[in-house]
Amino acid sequence: MSDKTSLRPQEFVLNPAHYGVPDLQQLKDLRIWDSHYHGLMTSGNPLKQHKEMMFYVERMGIERVISLDIGGTLKDPLTPQPHDGGLRAILERDKAFISGIIPIDPGFPDESSSKIKDWIQNGPCIGIKYVGGNKLGITCDHPNNDKIIQLAADLAAMIYIHSWLIVGGTPRLPGGSNQPGESTPMNVAALAKRFPNVPIICGHSGGDWELGVKAIRPFENVFLEFSGSDPHSGSVDYAVKELGGARIVWGGHGPGRSFSTELSKVLDASISHSERMKIFGGNYRRLAQSIFRKKGITIQL
Amino acid sequence: MKKVSRRTFFSHSLASLSLPAALSVGKENIRHGTDGSFQTGPEIIDTNVNVFEWPFRKLKYSDTKSLVGKLRLHRIRQAWAGSFEALFHKDVNGVNSRLTEECRKNGDGMMLPFGAVNVAWPGWEEDLRRCHEIYRMPGIRLYPGYQSFDLDHPEFPRLVQLATERGLIIQIVGDMEDSRTQHPIVHVRGVKIEPLIEIVKKNARAKVHLLYWNHKVEGAQLDRLIAETNVLLDTSRIEGTGSVGRLIEGKPWYGSHKPVPVERILFGSHAPYFPVEANILKLFESPLNLQQMQAIMVDNASRLLGQFK
Repeated sequence: MSDKTSLRPQEFVLNPAHYGVPDLQQLKDLRIWDSHYHGLMTSGNPLKQHKEMMFYVERMGIERVISLDIGGTLKDPLTPQPHDGGLRAILERDKAFISGIIPIDPGFPDESSSKIKDWIQNGPCIGIKYVGGNKLGITCDHPNNDKIIQLAADLAAMIYIHSWLIVGGTPRLPGGSNQPGESTPMNVAALAKRFPNVPIICGHSGGDWELGVKAIRPFENVFLEFSGSDPHSGSVDYAVKELGGARIVWGGHGPGRSFSTELSKVLDASISHSERMKIFGGNYRRLAQSIFRKKGITIQL
Repeated sequence: MKKVSRRTFFSHSLASLSLPAALSVGKENIRHGTDGSFQTGPEIIDTNVNVFEWPFRKLKYSDTKSLVGKLRLHRIRQAWAGSFEALFHKDVNGVNSRLTEECRKNGDGMMLPFGAVNVAWPGWEEDLRRCHEIYRMPGIRLYPGYQSFDLDHPEFPRLVQLATERGLIIQIVGDMEDSRTQHPIVHVRGVKIEPLIEIVKKNARAKVHLLYWNHKVEGAQLDRLIAETNVLLDTSRIEGTGSVGRLIEGKPWYGSHKPVPVERILFGSHAPYFPVEANILKLFESPLNLQQMQAIMVDNASRLLGQFK
């Protein structure tokens, strides 16, 4: 049997709708914004990987991707890299469907602020990302962060915080195996309490969504994003019940995760079409409309 | 295959769209049959579901009748079912008895029971015999991470040999969930797949099928499994963008492995733990051709099951 195919992104040999999943047009109708796009993250050539990824972005009907890997690397976010110029060019050329947010390091608030000014205030990016660990082991609720968050808020920038509760340690507990500086949803909640008017995205739902949802529930300025973990049936139902559909945003996490994995979390949920559309993109667009307006990019909510 | 009008399946208006030009695809460019219809594809055999209660959470489709309804919504006509009870229960025969009865009573004719056998505990040969002779199961499902044996356990080669002599399919579960989110009082063992290669080579007729295998099989091991054995793989945790197609082409995003022939891949949803949608949609995310879809959806599983004596 041939193991090669030559289908174009928009070509399908069977109808997905026959199998109870959305076809391409239905996916497009959902107006999906991928707030967690890693197509531009690689130890190799991010531009080549991004080009390959766009085949699947088109195939799955994604309307816009937001890269979280702009400038530096996740391990060393404040040191410029050879591909930074290429990334900036992509963001400016393809701003109709690609946006970027920049990793920062709360261990270095002044340098992080400089990067924010360079890439957001004076550049094409729309937000910041806290990554999963950092050199000095500083979580997002440390006082260092106040300067960073305030600057981001002044620019109406999106704030995304990677959060996990990796089980481990002695005694063995959720979060016990987190990396130094890797925030938990509880760290996100502590930060959010100090900035009640600043929207913050709690990334990965904390990994352990049953605990993550409860940790952020009292703080209405905190939004939940589910990507980067196995798809658990019922997880989005739970989050909608506890937080409401207006507090959830969607991320694809490709290429490390399949779009199908992440889409299925929402498709599995017994929620209305309207709530599905909010989660897949409406909520993010609402949060990001100010920064897009500042960038002169028109988006339809 | 019968053809069905495509028009039936679109109810959404193009007028509501606001698409970036570079991603815009006209409706007329979406490929379908030359007369405007899609071929009706095959129904699916799902080789990886479990019944009863997941020990740590109430699952949405844990009730077998509701699970069957959900599977049917996605054109799954047959499901190979293990039991969540097998993870911790010591009365393995009781687990298998209840599994068989549940499939018979609430499976609506689509559930095939795959019983547990635990070589770490005494009496496993009798459990195996009952799976085959009493419960008439087509195969067994092993959960070594939970059942506290490694694949280099001295009894394991004999289990493979005896199950093979009976013509039983041997499903081996690598993981049930992401180890990072396990309940803190549970520390599931890390199963090493390596010993399986030599055991299967000595049992050339063994029908071994790995479920949720990806965390336990790195690239070089996968190459050996494919080159040196006839071991089969389920789709449930094949992860990454366009991952099924890239597995077939030998083009993973991270690491490296050689191409995996499509004949070695069987559809598995890992429902009700995973949403069924995840693995259905995965087949469409990759640009698979019709032969590949047919093979993964039904043919490979059907062929494996057809060998059951």
